[in-house]
Amino acid sequence: MLTVSHLRKEFDTVVAVDDVSFEVRRGQIFGLLGPNGAGKTTTIRVVLNILEADGGQVLFDGKPFSKTLRGGVGYLPEERGLYKKSKLLDTVVYLGELRGMSRPKARDAALRWLTRLELADQAGRRLQEFSKGNQQKIQFVAAVMHDPDLVILDEPFSGLDPVNQELFKGILLELKQGGKAVIFSTHQMEQAEKLSDDLCLINRGRVVLQGSVRDVKRRHGSNTLAVEFEGDGAFLETLPGVRRAILYGNQAELQLDDHPRLRELVAVINERVELRSFELREPSLQSIFLEVVGGVRAGQQEAAV
Amino acid sequence: MKKMLAIARWEYIEKVKSKAFLIGLLVTPLLMAGMGFLPMLFVSQEDKNTKRIGIVDESGEVAAAFSQRMGGYTLADGRPNFSVRVIGSGADVNDDTFKRANRMVVEDEIEGYVVIGETLSAGNILCEYRSKAGGDVWVGSRAEETLRQLVTERRVIALGLDTRLLKELDVKVDLRTVKVSQTGEKEEAGFMKVFFSSFAFMMMMFFLIATSGQLLVRSVIEEKSNRIIEVLVSSCTPTELMAGKVLGLSGLGFTQLGFWGLIGLAITFQTGTAIITPGNALLLVVYFILGYLFYSAIFIAAGSALNTEQEAQQVNSYLIILLVIPIMLALPAMKDPNAVWLRVLTFIPVFTPTMMALRIPIQSPAGWEIASTIGLMILAIYGAMVMAGRIFRIGILATGKTPGIAVLVRWVRTG
Repeated sequence: MLTVSHLRKEFDTVVAVDDVSFEVRRGQIFGLLGPNGAGKTTTIRVVLNILEADGGQVLFDGKPFSKTLRGGVGYLPEERGLYKKSKLLDTVVYLGELRGMSRPKARDAALRWLTRLELADQAGRRLQEFSKGNQQKIQFVAAVMHDPDLVILDEPFSGLDPVNQELFKGILLELKQGGKAVIFSTHQMEQAEKLSDDLCLINRGRVVLQGSVRDVKRRHGSNTLAVEFEGDGAFLETLPGVRRAILYGNQAELQLDDHPRLRELVAVINERVELRSFELREPSLQSIFLEVVGGVRAGQQEAAV
Repeated sequence: MKKMLAIARWEYIEKVKSKAFLIGLLVTPLLMAGMGFLPMLFVSQEDKNTKRIGIVDESGEVAAAFSQRMGGYTLADGRPNFSVRVIGSGADVNDDTFKRANRMVVEDEIEGYVVIGETLSAGNILCEYRSKAGGDVWVGSRAEETLRQLVTERRVIALGLDTRLLKELDVKVDLRTVKVSQTGEKEEAGFMKVFFSSFAFMMMMFFLIATSGQLLVRSVIEEKSNRIIEVLVSSCTPTELMAGKVLGLSGLGFTQLGFWGLIGLAITFQTGTAIITPGNALLLVVYFILGYLFYSAIFIAAGSALNTEQEAQQVNSYLIILLVIPIMLALPAMKDPNAVWLRVLTFIPVFTPTMMALRIPIQSPAGWEIASTIGLMILAIYGAMVMAGRIFRIGILATGKTPGIAVLVRWVRTG
């Protein structure tokens, strides 16, 4: 569906996107991951032809971006805003028309989606009267109402309450089952882990990790020990055999050496805190993210020294 | 094309409902009517109540006669206009007299007092009206007229002539200005009428362009600052977007123009006098459209290069100066509608539409001037649109620092 190859985008002094390549197929949810300022949004903007690439190629079904393709793409930008003074339904219909729908069709689709997102009864209200979360839902409608083959969502979950996050997730999975290609960017690894089939991790404009979620995890080994405990877990980082520890209060994810002595380690932990549970499993994306991004950063700092 | 129309429709409908537009639509005719009628109100402002005034007659010769004649003027309801009391006359006028008179004015015993100079016999005679306001032309001119009559009569009598001669000698000249239009017909053209219509058309053009210009800039800045521009630009091309905006706003301009036109027609039928001939009206509409399109390009370029409402207001006020300059030139232009500088200004595209709005009601410019300025405007509009398009394409997506002129030039070059 979408093939991005060797994409490059420079701003005055910075290379925001540097040799980024990835492919998104129909019926797939693709996670574009990376820390803040990694170049995710710039990549999306270049893909959508909002910004012009300085190098590389973006192909939709083998063809370069063209005017007619605009109707086949839906986009939820990261920075959200709507016409403050305008009315909900009018605005959504207008945005649908801009995607190439006829007025009546846009109206039907808008009402259908607004009903689904429980906003239809407020169709005549001005947009400035809506909460941020609801504005996000409205923009989400504008991104999917014209039934595009490719939906690109920039940080779709940020600022949403859990109920609405689930609602969005449900719709994304539906789109996937309907054979659409979905790209979403996030820096929340849990979302990415649960939703995406393939992912691409970008840091400082470069791809640092790529592939299916399963592959990526497998590549990073299965020597991660997840523990649940009660007490102060700060010491976990300093234990012998633990390469890295990610602490979440009463839980921790410990990345172990290649040949860990599991029994001893668990015994030591059990002595210091009250151990509730432990499990050896694949690393979470979160820990991979921290390892890869942190490692790159450390490497760059060393290089700079 | 379809998208452009959708954009035009959106811009039109959203803006036509906006307060700024409604205010512009209604306030302009009111303002114009105000400017037309207010001066008349002032001119015909007669006294409503009897005014108490004093007189200090240093000559000591006319105090009584003056008081009597001034007392002869009546108000509309028949009451006397002035009640005059003599404060001092002849030899008993000294510094104290004036002090007393001033105190009476300050204490509101009298509105003011007339001072008549020491000698009435030779040359100019002195007559002053002193009051708190300092500028009561009405009382002053009545006093002057009365004194002039009195003294003239006295001189006529002194010469041994009959005062009836005065009536015979009095000549009234009735001045009328008549405008010869290009077809050679005579056309009555009172100064006020020409001035008013010239002024009205310039003000209309000014408000038309200024309101929609503001709306245009605001709409671009809103889309930029809420970043909905990203959705728009991923949905349609910047060219479609800009063309749609200009088209929608032009519709708005026509709505405004149409509304004012109806008011104009209504006034024409009511009063039976047209402030403009149909041919000139048509010509003006052409310049309105040209000016509108030209300034649309400039405003849209400005809007896309700026980031905040505050910056926009600043730049708007600069742009509006360009529109105001011809308004300030209205009076000199009336005096000499053929002046070279006036013609030269007409050929500068930023001034062409307003200058023409100024000139056409005064004196129709020559055919070649009209043809060449229209041609020039079309070229200028084309150039401005191309330039604005380039700035727009880059500007709408640019964030951060507001570009300076140098950066804008680079955008236009690379665009």
